[in-house]
Amino acid sequence: MAIIFPSPEWLQSLFDKLNSDERYAQIARNWEGDMCVVIEPSGPLTEQHIYYLDLWHGKCRKTETLKDLFSVKSKFVLTATYENISHIMKGELDPMQAMMTRKLQVHGSMAYMMRNVPTVLDFVRCCREVTTEIL
Amino acid sequence: MQPILKVNLTTGETSEYVIPVELERDYLGGASLAARLLYPVLTRDLDPVSPESPILFLNGPLSGTAGPAVGRFVVCGKSPATGLWAESNCGGFWGPELRFCGYDGLWINGKADRPVYLWLNNRKLEVRDAAAVWGKDMYESQSIIKSEIGLPGAHVLTIGPAGENGVLFAGLYCDHGRAAGRTGLGAVAGSKNLKAIAVKGTQKIPIARPELFAPLRSASNHFLKEDTVTQVAHELGTAGVADYADYLGGTPKKYFHQGFFEGVDKVSGSTMAETILVGVSACHACVIACGRVVRLEDGEKRKGPEYETIVGFGPNLLNDDLAAIVRLGEVCDRYGMDVISASNTIGLAYHLYENGVITEKDTGFPLRWGDVTGAERLLHLMARREGIGNFMADGSRRFAAHFGAEEEAVQVNGLEVAYHDPRGVSGMALVYATSPRGACHNKSDYFLVDWGQAETSLGLKFFERHAGAEKAANVARHQDWRSACDSLVLCLFANVPAEMVAGLVNAACGYDCSVDDLLRCGERGWNLKRAINNRMGLTRGNDKLPKALLEPLADGPVAGFAPDLESMLLAYYSARGWDPVTGRPTREKLCALGLEDVAKDLWG
Repeated sequence: MAIIFPSPEWLQSLFDKLNSDERYAQIARNWEGDMCVVIEPSGPLTEQHIYYLDLWHGKCRKTETLKDLFSVKSKFVLTATYENISHIMKGELDPMQAMMTRKLQVHGSMAYMMRNVPTVLDFVRCCREVTTEIL
Repeated sequence: MQPILKVNLTTGETSEYVIPVELERDYLGGASLAARLLYPVLTRDLDPVSPESPILFLNGPLSGTAGPAVGRFVVCGKSPATGLWAESNCGGFWGPELRFCGYDGLWINGKADRPVYLWLNNRKLEVRDAAAVWGKDMYESQSIIKSEIGLPGAHVLTIGPAGENGVLFAGLYCDHGRAAGRTGLGAVAGSKNLKAIAVKGTQKIPIARPELFAPLRSASNHFLKEDTVTQVAHELGTAGVADYADYLGGTPKKYFHQGFFEGVDKVSGSTMAETILVGVSACHACVIACGRVVRLEDGEKRKGPEYETIVGFGPNLLNDDLAAIVRLGEVCDRYGMDVISASNTIGLAYHLYENGVITEKDTGFPLRWGDVTGAERLLHLMARREGIGNFMADGSRRFAAHFGAEEEAVQVNGLEVAYHDPRGVSGMALVYATSPRGACHNKSDYFLVDWGQAETSLGLKFFERHAGAEKAANVARHQDWRSACDSLVLCLFANVPAEMVAGLVNAACGYDCSVDDLLRCGERGWNLKRAINNRMGLTRGNDKLPKALLEPLADGPVAGFAPDLESMLLAYYSARGWDPVTGRPTREKLCALGLEDVAKDLWG
């Protein structure tokens, strides 16, 4: 079955992936922190989507679709337009390139982020691997 | 642009040089304009530390405005370290203050008959006796001169004892340790008995279209503030990238001979932020504020290290003591020595000591990896030109040659390699081999492009980090962009879209230029500097890398890889329109860039 990004099914599929992927479990074994992924409307996406993920020691403890960012204070907030995040999901845009060319905004502790870039990159790999279809 | 003030230190004569409008448009300002103005006098026979040797300080058209990260100026001339084009730019507040005086540059010739400093108060220049500060360190000199002037808001650019003693990697320093560190122009100033230049101005910087400039500079600053790269630099300083650089194998260790060092984590920008950081410092009107203020055990607040200092006195020497790195960086600053060249030359000393080329008889004390007490003693010896330090003060190439080991020095054309290993980011192989000032990481910070900062608006593509000849044209294009940035004297950390930069230039200067036009100006400057170096003796054979960087590392994340420089160079010459035999820009290329006179000089 095609898993369309973004959708509740995609988020559930990512939750399952993060809790079963051995490579992610190893690389992210020291990661402690939740994050919100904010997808700004562009192209076919007409509404903002916000996904919450509670990531802890190589597992995902919880996911949730949020209506806004006021209801939760996460360690990190990643923001990109739907167009740019689609390019990342399809493997057409490197996540570091996106960050360094202003296509992906990251808010949170930069010290923690820079120390854990391998975890972030492997998280993106998991996202890509559960994405079979873009909206 | 405003005029340049010319000063002859031998005669005391001054005059104003009005920059021709066509030169402003073709070269923008800064380093490229300096290259055009100095072209006639930078000859092979010119002794860089003679009275005839010029030293030219220049701003760009955005310098000192409230635009994004435009607090920098550039200083240019002939390098005593390389015998080639010398260029070094510097942040802080000195450059903008010079513009507030009504001058966009200072062009100094001659030699004073005693140590002096210049005091420029708006357009009034005084040549003052510097006996009270000669021999004093950089911070002391600034403090004493400011006190003598007694005018709040004055900014002082000074050399330290290293510049006075002719250390070939002596720099010029202003404000809180902001440095024009590379290529030894501090030694050129010292050779002229010029200790310092103090400036204070009250005039407005001319803006051609202020109604367009104001909203654009506001938008660009907001844009810059929201940028993630800015946030990394603000929170962690330039050393914020240390963790990632190490992960990708770009951080040199043990003088470029080791790929893994367990202590890297202890000396990153992240660690500094979580331990000793107590504040930040910024250049003129900068929202990034990458400067660090740290507090060590003595309770004193002091300048914290940036990336090059951290790696140079850290992993380069297998040292994981962050406080020791802070102190060694401060020793360099106080003496007025470039931290990259100083730490690189010290790494070479440790390397030669380990391999028995030099011994305790030469040094007077042991040099052991991880123990930086030897490094601190060497810094003092270098700055004072005492003992083995007298040889080290001439830079790594001459130091190694003195002991019959020139090929061990990790340098290109006499400038020590900065701490971005081309075995981790292969684009840096071309950058180091072809930079107009030797192994420089700033004439193109291509390591950032290799990490992902491939701006499509500049026509840049994203290549794999270990790609070879296929990225040569990309490197050349990025060099052209950075050459344009050096003309504007724009901070490399100003991660704003190129179109925004073009808009600011147009509003400031009354131009209507595109990003391609800026790239063309950059290419013109790059080729002109190449031609200057060709005239001073640089040939195809100078485009090379030191032995250490062409040998694969045995361990670490990039073990087994070395760049294929030769194939990259051939592709590079083709992309540049340079003659692959002589390494010179072709007549056609020079003429296409409007450099017909230079083409005639090179090709007859």
